[in-house]
This record gives sequence, structure tokens and C-alpha cells, in this order.
Amino acid sequence: MIARMIARAGLRWMDRRLRAAALTREALAKVFPDHWSFMLGEIALYSFVTLVLTGVFLSLFFDPSTAETIYGGSYGPLRGSSVSAAYASAIELSFDIRGGLLFRQVHHWSALIFLAAIAIHACRIFFTGAFRTPREINWLVGVTLLLTSLANGFIGYSLLDDLLSGSGLRIGYSTFLSIPIVGTWVAYLVFGGEFPGDRVIPRFFSLHILLLPALIAGLIGAHMAILVRQKHSQFPGPGRNDHNVVGSKMWPTYAFRSLGLLSAVLAVSFGLGALVQVNPVWVWGPFSPSAGTTPAQPDWFLGWVEGLLRLFPAVEFRVLGYLVPSPFLPGVALPVLMVVALYAWPWLDRLVTGDRERHQVLDRVRDRPGRTAAGVWAVSLVVLLTFAASDDLVARGLSVPVQDYVVALRVVVLVVPVICGAVAYVLARALRGHPGSRLTTMEPRQIAGVLGLRRPEARRPPAPPGPRAERPAVPSEDAPDVVDSGSRHGG
Amino acid sequence: MKRPERGIAAAFGVTVLGAVMAAASYVAGADRLLLGLGFALGFAGLAAGFVLWAATLLPQGPYVEEREPMVSPPGEREALEAEYDRPAGRLPRRMLALALGTFGLAGVFPVRSLIVHGPSPSVALATTAWRDGVRLVDQDGRPVRAADVTPGTMVTAFPEGHLDTGDSAAVVLRVDPAKLRLPAGRERWTVDGVVAFSKLCTHAGCPVGQYVAPAQQLVCPCHQSVFDVLRGAEPMSGPAARSLPQLPLRLDGDGVLVAAGDFPEPVGAGYWRPM
Amino acid sequence: MRRALAILGCTLAVAGASGAAAAPPTPAPETRGRALYGQSCATCHGQNGEGSPRGPNLENSGAAAADFQLSTGRMPLPHPGAASERRQPAFGPRDIDALTAYIASLGHGPAIPVVSRGDLQEGREIFVSTCAACHSGSLAGGTLSSGQAAPPLLASTPTQIAEAIRLGPGAMPSFPRGVISDAQVNAIATYVTSLRPQLDHGGAPLGGFGPVPEGAVAWVFGLGLLALFIRLIGKRAP
Repeated sequence: MIARMIARAGLRWMDRRLRAAALTREALAKVFPDHWSFMLGEIALYSFVTLVLTGVFLSLFFDPSTAETIYGGSYGPLRGSSVSAAYASAIELSFDIRGGLLFRQVHHWSALIFLAAIAIHACRIFFTGAFRTPREINWLVGVTLLLTSLANGFIGYSLLDDLLSGSGLRIGYSTFLSIPIVGTWVAYLVFGGEFPGDRVIPRFFSLHILLLPALIAGLIGAHMAILVRQKHSQFPGPGRNDHNVVGSKMWPTYAFRSLGLLSAVLAVSFGLGALVQVNPVWVWGPFSPSAGTTPAQPDWFLGWVEGLLRLFPAVEFRVLGYLVPSPFLPGVALPVLMVVALYAWPWLDRLVTGDRERHQVLDRVRDRPGRTAAGVWAVSLVVLLTFAASDDLVARGLSVPVQDYVVALRVVVLVVPVICGAVAYVLARALRGHPGSRLTTMEPRQIAGVLGLRRPEARRPPAPPGPRAERPAVPSEDAPDVVDSGSRHGG
Repeated sequence: MKRPERGIAAAFGVTVLGAVMAAASYVAGADRLLLGLGFALGFAGLAAGFVLWAATLLPQGPYVEEREPMVSPPGEREALEAEYDRPAGRLPRRMLALALGTFGLAGVFPVRSLIVHGPSPSVALATTAWRDGVRLVDQDGRPVRAADVTPGTMVTAFPEGHLDTGDSAAVVLRVDPAKLRLPAGRERWTVDGVVAFSKLCTHAGCPVGQYVAPAQQLVCPCHQSVFDVLRGAEPMSGPAARSLPQLPLRLDGDGVLVAAGDFPEPVGAGYWRPM
Repeated sequence: MRRALAILGCTLAVAGASGAAAAPPTPAPETRGRALYGQSCATCHGQNGEGSPRGPNLENSGAAAADFQLSTGRMPLPHPGAASERRQPAFGPRDIDALTAYIASLGHGPAIPVVSRGDLQEGREIFVSTCAACHSGSLAGGTLSSGQAAPPLLASTPTQIAEAIRLGPGAMPSFPRGVISDAQVNAIATYVTSLRPQLDHGGAPLGGFGPVPEGAVAWVFGLGLLALFIRLIGKRAP
């Protein structure tokens, strides 16, 4: 009761200064679609919140310096050793500061979940055509968020100055070096000189806790502001069309559901941080440029680049008498190509489908078999490349020579995505036009129809002008009541 | 109506339990497992409570919100464009463009300061600390004697006085001189079968720390490039395309291994350089 | 401190056991060893350790090699052509001592190294710079070329660690005293045995395999659980 009075007084105080009542009411009435997949992006958002919360704690203890210090904490094997201040403070966080290891592990786990959520959210956007006009800007913002988060993940992982991340940093440096003409300068600008140098860790610290998080936060703000301005897209369904959004209102239902999700993200991150070890830097030891450990992989989100580096044949060539070294094609050229394609997808999609309409209602995955096939091809390629990054572990598990396993993987990586894409195309074609049918309930004749194994009359007319055209507009009396400020529909 | 309320209350009760558990385990000095599980339990209770609350006590909709078209009426846009197109003299506008352009370029110069120390990359990357007469020492700074390098062992050597440089580490091995097939011109680079190669992989610069002694192979643990020691550390498989640079060796009076010069080519990962 | 004492005790116990091999507990262990050899080793290594097409000459392999191969269960092979990997030893400690004494009596090979407690910090430094590239900083072992692998060091005794360092069994390089001193061998063995109880500091160590299983856990138990959660609280039908 008292809380309610205070809240009311506070609102009145604010409103007398900002005249915010109408605006706030409008904001609280925003309608969110109820489909579960719309919350994937929210998982990413709340992982970011977790990252900031735990990261602030860590930044108060971490010492981003390569200055040699004598570790004097409670981890016996390191006591009395001369290591960098960065590594020593990471060990202190892991052994000597109560709660430090928990927060370190929660931070790392939520970083891994953050990027996983971004990736899967991007897939949802892709396969449902949510990037189409008018949402291209948010696609660009989203891809930039993905890349910024990827960079910040790698940089954060590299800060601790341990042997495993140091190897990763060295591979990153070597990849910069491999860029023709400007590579050495780029690498030197980032590292302040020849690897390893004493500048990279303080620099990466500034990037990791200041510049990139600020950029990510700003981009998330823009992402959500645009979302609010344009309103959510929605899946097709009764009463849903290009002129409305159907779902739950921001206040109170959706807000409570979303607070529940925030709590769930924190619960999972803390649960993992409590139960499962992540990045045991005391085990890997401090970085030394002449030492290494095995198995040496980056965090999962850079596995695809690592997979490319491992699978790509030893190709070096000369241009104008200058060396273009082997990491260039797999480590720079192909990833840049993939990123450019990702950025350009809304326009590539338009070229392929010829669809220049404005869309508020999403495609179902089956509606655009061509896009679905392209997406499945790309996703399975990236998944397989990520899997290839563990080639040494898998080869050891299978007791086969890693050299032979790599040869097999090269074939798999080229062939399997094409098969996956083709299967996806056939399945999407088979399901298209059967709105009630699902992958699990589909009948063989639907596939047979696509493959041309049945008489032509069973075929769908080729390339319908648009998925909407197949669905008759919902008669207006079927649509739920249209309300602007929130009386509950139905009863 | 009573049952959901009880469920929600129970969920928030779990949060209280989690809070007590976290606080108690912190005070008791349990720093990870119980503390973390306490927090996790607390958040899980909140999650369950909020979600149950939303599902049972709050209006379920569906609600419908109308969209306004995301395009301004033509009049508004034209008015904005007219605002932007206020006439101004051509000369000031061009001069402003020139001023901003040159000023922007001037702002690029301080970027060079990011390269803090040392000579330009093309010089720094091409050389290491090895010189003719520099003794090989191990990681503790003890000189490496040829007699210590027995067949089948592996010594990581550094130039004396330069233990901390990132690019000088060399792998010193002893092989059967009769089986050694070095490229022409390197006959005098070994001491009685003792050979030394850069420890940095020519693919991405990782230390080639795995020595498979019976097969005389050096293997990189990062991307599994394999180098054939007997053939001058030529790459056999994996993504590395160039041999590990060989360090010319000789012996000083005390039986200690000494470099006879620097590596003949830059060590580690390749870069844009004349070849 | 208690842990340190435990390690010391363990080290001494093992050292004592291997000492027993040098100073025989029974009147003629070689005799007993010879009988065991005849039953289990002679088929491949020859009646008197002279070797055969199926197995190498053992005349000068010495006590250290015999003890390493037998106590890690690598020898005898369960069948010809089996991989040389750690197994449950086929013989008990007394039989291993007897066999070791017999093989040592065949020629002049290195004796079983005596390991004592070494410097923990030095052990860590050498292990990380020299051993981790193959055996992993987490002792999980690693992949080498041509289908070979460096074994995990999760079960090795200090004596076995010392034997492996000196002998270089299988694909491993050997490290003579001039490269790694006796004190350093003690240090490495001390570090490895003291690291093992720390391997699960922070929770389930996921085999010590690093970011690969970590990524899998993040996807399955991190995002997987959360995806399940949003499916429960969101609607399913599009």
C-alpha cells in the first residue's frame, strides 16, 4: 500500500516536470507478439545485462597490465613466480577473492550464451524474412551487433594473458599480418609493435570495457528504438495483417514475462558459473611466446574462422613478387566475404525473390524455399566449420590420423551443406501450400509432388507471386477488436 | 484464484531461500558452488514467480495494436527537404567541404602513434636477436652444450641475453647426419647432426612444441601442421606452406652451441614481403 | 600443508616401492621374474630378451623401461598389434618388481629413477613450457601427427612421470639430465600430482578439453535451457 502511494507520488512529480503520462501510457500499451521465437533476441539482451553486471565486478579487480609482478596469492604452483599483472590478477580473482571465480565464470558463460542467442536470433530473423522492407536498417544494426559482440568476446578472452588465449592472440596477429600491403601496419597499429608487446592488453582492456560495450549498448538502444518505432513484425494468423500487431501488451503481462526471462537468464548463467568450470587459466599457465598447450581452440563463436584456418589447404601465392601468406584466404578473405554477404542479404534477397513490397507479416520458413535453402546451406556450413575447429580432439577420439580426418572434413564441408540446402528446399516446397501440415505430420506424397514423381495436377503452381497471395485476407469480422489503449479482447 | 497466488508466493519464497543460501555461504567462505547455487536459486525463483504471475493473474489478450504507416505524408517530406535546401553561397560551401576534408586527414596522423616502439614492421619482422657468435641458452639462461642434445631429445633455445623476445625461440634437435637431407648450401649449418629451427610455425606463428621423436616430425598444436625435420623442416601436411627457418649453428671452444648468424628468412607467420 | 604432506607421502611410498625393486624383498626375484618373463613376454621379445620380429630387443632396455611399460599396463599387449596405451596392469606390484629385476639383469639399461618432492613453481614452469604442448596444461593429453596421441597424465605416478621423461617412450622425446635435471624431474612430478586435485577448481572440468566442450555446454545447457523456457512461456503456433 505504501509502495503504491510512493510510486504514485513519484509519477506525479515526474509528470509535472516532463508531462510524461500520455507518452508512458502509450509505451506501456505496446503490443508484443506472443510467439516464443520473438524472445530469442531478449535472451541476448539479458545476457548483455548479465555481462555488464558481472563485468563491472571483475573490472574492479582485474589489472590490465603486462608489468611483471610476483604472484603471492594462495595458488601454490604460481606463488613466487614472476608473471604479468594481468595474469596474476586473473589468478587472484580465481583463488583469492571471495566470489571472484563465480563472477568470472558467470561472465564467461553469459558471453558464450550472449553470442549463441544473437546467432539463433539472427537465424529466426533470416528464415522468417523479418529483414525485409521496412526492417533493413535493423538488420544492418543487428549484423553490426553480432560482429561487435564477436570482437568483444575475443578481446575479453584474450585479456587474461594466459597461454591458451595468448595462442589465439598470436593467431589473430598472424591473420592481420597476412593482409596484403597493409597487413603489417594493421597488426602493428593494433599491437603497438611486434607481437606480443606490452601494449596490447591495456589497449584491449579499454576496448573491452569501454569502447565496445558502449558501442554495443548504443546499438542495442538503436535496435530497440527502431523496433518500437516500426513495431514488431508478426507471424501470419487469424486477425493478423500488415496493418496491426496482435499479442500481449507491454504492461503488465509482457513486462512480467520478460522480467521472468531476465531472471531465467541470470539463473542459468549463475547455475553454470557455479557448477561448470570455464577457462581455467591457472591450468593453462601464463603466456609465453615460446610455449603452447593443446587442445588449442578459440571460444565457440570464432570456431568457424578456426575451422577455416584448419581446413584450408596450404596455399600461399605471390602477387607482384610479394608473398600473400596462407592465413589470408581462410582467415581474412572468406570471413570478409561472408560478412559482406550477411550485410547485403536484404538486397540479395530482393534480387532473388523480386519482392520489393513492405512487409509486416512474416514468412513461414516454408514460404520461401529458395531463401530457406540458402539459409540452411549457410548455417550448416558455419556449423560444420565450427565443428572442424575441434578436428584434433575428434581425430584423437576416433583414433584416426588428423591429416586424414582433415581431408574428409574438406569434402564434408563442401558437400553436406549443399545436401542440407537441397533437402531444406524440397521440404519447404512440400510444406508450402499446406499451412496445417508440419515436418512431423507431413505425408510422403507432398515430397513426391515436389520431386516430380507424381502427376502434374498435384503440383503447386510454380513460383506464386507472394506467400500472402495464397492466404485469403481475413474477413474483418474474424479479426479481434481493434483497440488503441487496451480493452481486453474477447472474454 | 487462490492456487496460482499460492504458487507465485512459493516461487518468491524460493528466492528468499536462495538469498539466505547465498548470504550464508558467502559469510561461511564458500566462494563458488554454494554461493553460485544460492544466486541461481534466487533468480530461478524470481523467474518462476514472474512467469506464473504473467500467466495466471494478468490479462492474456490477445490485444491488437494498429500500425501507422511508416512513411511521412508527402507534404511533410517536401517541407523538410525545403528546410535542408536553404540556399547558400557556393564558395563558402565548397570551402567548408575542403576545410573538413583536410582537417579530417590531419586527424589521421596521430594514429601513427599507436605504433609505440621500434623500427618499421618490415625491418622488425625480418630479423631476430640471433647474430653470429650468440650462444644458445635454455629458458633458464644456461648455455646449451652440443653434448646435452642427445638423439631423441628436444631443447628450446634462446639467444643469450634475449630470453624474453617473442620471435627468437628455436628448437634444437639431434638427428642422424646420414639421414639429414638439408637444402643445398646448408651443409655447414649443423654440428654433428644437431640442427636448430625456428620454433614459430610459418602458418600462424604458434610454437611448434610437439616433437614426434621416432618419426622426426615437428607438429604444431594449433592447426596440426607437420614439419619433416630430416628435410630441413619442410611442411608435410597441414596449413603451413613454408619450411621452418633454420638457424645456422657452430660450436664454440667450450662445446657450447653458438649461432652462426640470424635465420635466413623471417620467422613465424608470413606477411607481405618480396619473395 | 596437509595436501603437501599427502603428496610427499605418496611420492615417498612410490619411491619406496621402486626402491624395493632395486633391493629385492625375496631371495631371488630374478628367478621369479624369469619365470614370468617366459610365460608372458618371451613370445615377442625372445627367450632371453634378444627380441624377435614381433617385439624389440630388451637386453639393454633396463629397469626403468620395464617398470614403466609394466606398471602403466602398456605391456604385455593384450594381443599382437594392440595400441601401446595405458591399461590396468596385468601384473601385481611384486610381479612387476620381479620382472623388472630380471630384465635389468639382462644388460645395462637405466635404473628406475628415484623421485622425491621437488619445487612446485619450477615444476609448473617447466611443465607449461616443455610438456603442455603435447600433454595439455590440463593433463588431458593431446593429438600428434599420424594418428598418434600424447596420453593424459591423470593417473601417472611420480615414478612413471620420471621414467617417461628420461626414456621418451613411444612418440615422446626423451630428456636426459643435461636438458632436465633430476631436481627438475622431481619438480615436474610434484607439479603434476599437485595439479590434479585442482583440476576441478571452479566446477566440472569438462575433461580439460577447453573451449570445445565449453561451447557445447553453453549451447545445450545455456541457450538450450533458455530456449526451452521461452517455448514454455511463449506461444507455439505461428
